[in-house]
Amino acid sequence: MRSKAGSRSREAGTRPAAVGGLRPAGGTTRAVFGTPFTRRAWRELLYAVAGVPLGMAGFVLTVGFLGPATVLTISLVGTVLGLVLLVTGLRVARLVSLAQQALAGYLLDVRLPQLPPPRPAHGVLAHVDARLRDSAGWRAAAAAILGLPIAVAKYIAVLWWAYGAFSVTSPVWWLMFRNHPAGRHLSPIYPGGFAVQTWPGTWPAAVAGAAILLAAPWLVRGVIAAELWLSRRILAPNDMTARVAALERSRSEVVNEAAALVRQIERNLHDGAQTRLATLALHLGMARDKLAAGGPDEVAAARDLVEAAHAGAKEALVELRDLSSGIHPPVLDNGIGPALQNLAASSAIPVRVTAHLPERPSPAIETIAYFSAAELLANAVKHSSANLIEVAATSPPGGPFVLTVTDDGRGGADEADGSGLSGLRHRARTVDGTLIVTSPPGGPTTVSVELPLHP
Amino acid sequence: MRVVIAEDSALLREGLVRLLEDRGYEVVAAVADAGSLLAAVAEHRPDVVVTDIRMPPTHTDEGLRAAAELRRHHPEIGVLVLSQYIETTYATALLATNAGGVGYLLKDRVADAAEFAGALERVAAGGTALDPEVITKLMRASRQVGGLGGLTPREREVLKLMAEGRSNAAIAEEMVISSGAVEKHVASIFGKLGLPSSESDNRRVLAVLQYLRA
Repeated sequence: MRSKAGSRSREAGTRPAAVGGLRPAGGTTRAVFGTPFTRRAWRELLYAVAGVPLGMAGFVLTVGFLGPATVLTISLVGTVLGLVLLVTGLRVARLVSLAQQALAGYLLDVRLPQLPPPRPAHGVLAHVDARLRDSAGWRAAAAAILGLPIAVAKYIAVLWWAYGAFSVTSPVWWLMFRNHPAGRHLSPIYPGGFAVQTWPGTWPAAVAGAAILLAAPWLVRGVIAAELWLSRRILAPNDMTARVAALERSRSEVVNEAAALVRQIERNLHDGAQTRLATLALHLGMARDKLAAGGPDEVAAARDLVEAAHAGAKEALVELRDLSSGIHPPVLDNGIGPALQNLAASSAIPVRVTAHLPERPSPAIETIAYFSAAELLANAVKHSSANLIEVAATSPPGGPFVLTVTDDGRGGADEADGSGLSGLRHRARTVDGTLIVTSPPGGPTTVSVELPLHP
Repeated sequence: MRVVIAEDSALLREGLVRLLEDRGYEVVAAVADAGSLLAAVAEHRPDVVVTDIRMPPTHTDEGLRAAAELRRHHPEIGVLVLSQYIETTYATALLATNAGGVGYLLKDRVADAAEFAGALERVAAGGTALDPEVITKLMRASRQVGGLGGLTPREREVLKLMAEGRSNAAIAEEMVISSGAVEKHVASIFGKLGLPSSESDNRRVLAVLQYLRA
């Protein structure tokens, strides 16, 4: 038996073609005659059988709640009750959808799109409001209502199996019930069909049954494929919802990143310049006291202290300068080209910079590009053992702004190992930009950051 | 007087050692984190401890928690807490039980060696040293506007110095007035604010702080 977890994770996302796709494995003949005896066909049959009551119940419950609820709500007489029923109905639809998901996952190894959880809300009114605006709940309700025709289709497909099985075995049935009363006929297909009067007459019925049996799994598979296609269509968030989710995610990344950055700046100031200045003040205070005392030893000590204070002041200046240019490098004021040149000049590995930008990007884009370049250069210096790094900033007419950093080093850069690449990707995503890393083992490594000219 | 210093910046730590040794104190240990501070105190039993608040490993309020622990287990050892910022909640936490043998100063105060040493002496002797900034903040935030508004400018100045933990003599010296004049001001303040008068400087600090926070 294959490992379920393994196959599930492997197939997640690329699954649609596998189930329901008519893909004969090992010859058409085997596909035609072997299908009823495959494990998969049986699982699909089981799925269809379970789907009939589930689909019916889902439809009845959902319509049973939402129908009267809508009438009551609109009638204004029973609005409160109506709203309660609406909310309950949507919750039921979600539960049906969950059951559907579980069934498909368990029997078919298929992952249906998960419904995002409804927004949490406090207070009764807010709760009702949130539930009624919960588009995922409404999508689940739509799926539950469409579950009725699907359940009927499944029912018919399951019946094919049953009739096929019954017909193909009809010669046996004939023999077992040969003493049946006169006038009773055994018909392989009900209603009508052809009536069998003699035992040899059951043979064509058996052949017909075999044909039905061979076709039944494909019917079931077809119904399931149609159902899965519909479910994906209905349950999967539409483009706008997906966009909102992506924006929410990138916004929370930006907010957290900004807070972390401010925190980092505070810490740098606290541990750096502030402490240096406190020490400097301490030294100067002591020096003043020594000078006030006036003896030759004191004056010598004071000179010593002033010396220390002077050195401390210079160090504090350097520290503050580094810190402030880390917040916003002044060189960026002249554009990204000169800023990149500036970065290149302080790199430990030779860097060649080309910048060709007919239109100047927005300051925010320049800032992202600058810090991305700084990070990528630092990465290359740290990990690549390259001899040359090339930095290119280009912007085709009407196109995005593209920053490319290439090194001739050993390659093998991996986003997962905390190289800061994922941080850059986050940052690019905040303005709908992208980051593409090509770094085969042995090199070369190319990282392209694509950003809109104006966010 | 024997001192233990805890400050994670080596630069400032050395500066503090130099300042205190220069004024004749014996610095028996200078450490960089709260754990070493507690160990050093257990080993050396100093008269007074000078500690930073933010220290490794978490860089939040290690020093403050160490100070609270020292005050619980070694009430005889004075604790002077230094910080880059003034948080009135920290001051409140430090003074929660009593104001004796505790100080809370901005790091800026090390610039004035004599004043810093004075505060350290006061704390070592079981008194209080609160940064003027704390008092200013409390007075600004105090809802007792009516009460404080009734004080003359002179009295407000006395109130501030009193809350910092200074004795009448020190207040007199600071304001360049006679001790008698200070006593008169103090009595008038306590009368106007309706505070119970108190002989001990520490209780006086607590009473004033409580009044400001109420």
